[in-house]
Amino acid sequence: MTNDEHGVEELFAQYRAACPELEPSVHFMPDLWRRIDARRGFWFVFQGLARTAAVAAIMVCLLLAALNLRNPGASGVIATYPDALAADHTAERTYYTEAIADTSSSEQAPVAVHE
Amino acid sequence: MLVDPQLIDKARGGDQAAFNQLVTAYRNRMFGVISRLIGRPEDVEDVAQEVFVRVYYSLGQLRSSELFEPWLYRLTTNACYDYLRRAKRRRESRMADFSEQQVMMADSATATQLESEERRKRETRDTVNTLFQDVSEQDRLLLTLKEVEGLSLKELQEIYGVRENALKVRLFRARQRMLKAYRAAKADGKV
Repeated sequence: MTNDEHGVEELFAQYRAACPELEPSVHFMPDLWRRIDARRGFWFVFQGLARTAAVAAIMVCLLLAALNLRNPGASGVIATYPDALAADHTAERTYYTEAIADTSSSEQAPVAVHE
Repeated sequence: MLVDPQLIDKARGGDQAAFNQLVTAYRNRMFGVISRLIGRPEDVEDVAQEVFVRVYYSLGQLRSSELFEPWLYRLTTNACYDYLRRAKRRRESRMADFSEQQVMMADSATATQLESEERRKRETRDTVNTLFQDVSEQDRLLLTLKEVEGLSLKELQEIYGVRENALKVRLFRARQRMLKAYRAAKADGKV
């Protein structure tokens, strides 16, 4: 160890002894709690609102799920895709059937005029 | 550990009385550590309060009550680092920043009031603070924890969360930079 290294070590040892032993003031704890409360500002209000909103959303989901379970037929929701296709006759009725009907009626009409 | 791990668990659970007991148990030790880390006795209380505010809001993140002390040291080191960075930015006119002549004048004005022992202690603090100004805040904190607080390598590993070899390299470099500052100060007749 060089003289300088020894000098630095000694300086550190003296520094430790030279730093005063401090006692907290009587205001330490009240001031600490004041700072803790002050830190609860906007972020904590926002967190509280977010928590409330999350709880409200869960409650609404549960309510809707309960209503759905209680009255499953009334919901109008079809469970599977084939069921949905089977239930959907509207397309055939409204387009193809009517188109055929229109064609037949238009073919018949000239006959009637011709006669 | 200065307190029972159960007390830490209670404080983690939001028990304010337990938190108060925890602060009371550790505040004197932390006052000493902060005082030596920042070198400004008048700001120790402010930094200590910041440390305990951080403890209050992040105690829930502590994995185990057994890890409380290294974790507390880590929060303290971080708070001191923030303080030193702010102080550096503000470039406050500090006693350590004054010219030699100004210090001598201030010394002579107060010499009659100060005991020689007190004066010697203050000179030591000023000398070390002057040397610390020539190294980074990280070096200052690491060297103070190791050389002044006397923490072991294992304790430092827990605080910094690094491997032993990496820590040894950091310490070696910090010591070298401090030694360089010491030699420069010695050459200027400041030490």
